[in-house]
Formats: sequence, C-alpha cells, structure tokens
Amino acid sequence: MLEKGTAKKVTIYVNEDAQHNLGPLYEAILTFLLHKSVAGATATRALAGFGPHQVMHTAKIEVLTRHMPIRIEFIESAQRVDELMPTLYDMVTDGLIEVQETQVVKAVAPNQAAPKLPHQELKGKARLMRIYMGESDQWEGEALYDAILKRLRLMDIAGATVYRGILGYGAKRHTHRSGPLHLSHDLPVMISVVDTEEKLRPAIEAVESMMQDGLIVLSDVDVIRLVHARPESAHVGS
Amino acid sequence: MSAAKKGKLLRLHFSEADRHQGKPLYEAVVERAKGLGIAGATVFRGLEGYGETTEIHRPHLMRRDQPIVVTIVDTPDKIERLIPEAEALMDKGLIATSDVDCIRIERNPSA
Repeated sequence: MLEKGTAKKVTIYVNEDAQHNLGPLYEAILTFLLHKSVAGATATRALAGFGPHQVMHTAKIEVLTRHMPIRIEFIESAQRVDELMPTLYDMVTDGLIEVQETQVVKAVAPNQAAPKLPHQELKGKARLMRIYMGESDQWEGEALYDAILKRLRLMDIAGATVYRGILGYGAKRHTHRSGPLHLSHDLPVMISVVDTEEKLRPAIEAVESMMQDGLIVLSDVDVIRLVHARPESAHVGS
Repeated sequence: MSAAKKGKLLRLHFSEADRHQGKPLYEAVVERAKGLGIAGATVFRGLEGYGETTEIHRPHLMRRDQPIVVTIVDTPDKIERLIPEAEALMDKGLIATSDVDCIRIERNPSA
C-alpha cells in the first residue's frame, strides 16, 4: 500500500508488438510488477506516436495497427523503484524508461484488511485552535466552515468540530442572532481543532489564507487520550 | 502566518433560563461586552449539561433550559475589566479564563 508523501513515478514506453518470452512485452512487465506486489500499474494504448525509428504509428494505417505505442505507468516508493529497476532495464530491449519525482496526495483501497490510520497517535502536549467566522462566510462558492473542514482533513489533522453559536458579534460590529421570528443564516460559527504544534502550524497558514475576516485563537492543551471508534474508520472528533 | 498576539479567552457558563431584568442573561452579557468595547463575543448553546445545582439542563417542552457558554477573546486588560461586570450580572454559574494566542484576520474583500 502506498503512503502519502514523496514517491517515484515510472513510465515505460514500449511497442504493442514487442515480445518477451513469446508474449507481449507490456503484459510481461505488468505480470512482473504484479508478482512484486507493486501497489498498481496501468498500461495505456496510444492513439498515435513515433519513436527513435522515426516511423509514425497510427491506427489509420492498417498494417501498423499492431505496432502502437504502449505506456505503462506505476508509482512506488524510491526504494521499491530501485529494487525493480534492474529487471525492468533488462526486459525493455526496445523502448524507453523514465522515472520522475511525484507526490502521493491520496492512496486509498477500500475493504483492506488493516488500513493504516492516516494520522499518528496523539497524546500529551498539543494545541487547541479555535477559528471564529460567520455561517454565511464563503470560500470559492462554498461555505467557509465546510471548506476549512475539508482542508483540515486533507492535511490529516486529527480532528475538528464545527459549532454554531446562537448569538454573537465580532469585528464587523453587527450582531448575529437567531430567534423564533428571524431565521438567520449568518450565525457565528466556531471550529475547534486539536493536534500537535507541528501539524497545526501549516494548518493555521492554510486556514488564514482562506478567511476574509475572523479570529484564530490558539491555546495549549493536554491530550489525555485519542480513541478511534472503529478501526476501519479514520474519523475522530475532538 | 501573521504574528500571534497574547490574549485571554473568557468563558462564562450558565443556563439559558437565567435572566437579567427580564431578558436572557446571555443577551445582557453580550450587550455589556459590546458596551465595554470588547472585540467580540459568541454565545453557544449546549445540548445537555449540569452545573452546581446538579440539576440536569436539557430541553423541556415549554421552557428552554439548556447550558449556555459565552466565549469572549480580547487583550488581558480588557478581559480583566469585563470579569467583575460579568460577575455582577450572573447569580450563579462559572467563569473561566485561559491564556491564548490570537491571530486576527481582517482583509478588505476587494483586495
């Protein structure tokens, strides 16, 4: 299973009719990667292309349709790519292998036996962040509190809770209120977030850049225990 | 990240049923804070809770008696000035303060 963070992306270009031990080379490469438990690999057939032989391979010319370019891509950790490369180097007798740095943003497989929780255990000294805003505040067309919550999840922050106030005022000096006769949609909203200082620092910057006005309040807290309700669920509240 | 300023967070816990001169206590507290030039105040209603009378505050059919928390963030001296005023308004309840770092965000929407 791939983990979030830096990884290597390997791209291999071969011809569809390139052979390896009496079978297509691309199939042999995919089989090899499968046996080596690579997280995933994809072979795609091109529409047209040319290689160092300077012959255009295109589906429009019938004799050349069995000669289309195939691109195989897979992503693995730098160490795994190092292990796989000698064999791939031997297998590809006609083609191109390319490796580039990449960033894994999300790698999820449903129904996995023991999924790795995306965040570390949290215990001891931590920081509590409270973010104050209005319920009607927007960010790129969506509710700001929703957008902030999604961003925090992307950043693997341990947990966040959105509270709606019933009355309040802030820098804009107007009172947010609700009552039986006025159904306000601009009540005060507060999001409380708990995580370590290091994890929160980039989160504060991200949240700050999304807000037009509001207040961020930070305080020191002691985390007594972080309980995961269900092992297959990575969702925790704070 | 903008520089965080040292501040105080004040929390007032009481009941939604608490009143001051006929109107809800939380409204009176917010008005008093506004009058003192406090930067902001937010009132939250809890779902259920209990306090010093050990009576459980929960929604009733006819009257609202849920726990109320008012949170106020400002500079330490302004919070110190508000505490005696809030104390005078409240018959019972709890006042708690904590040290916090504040980041105030104020951007011109056109910017």
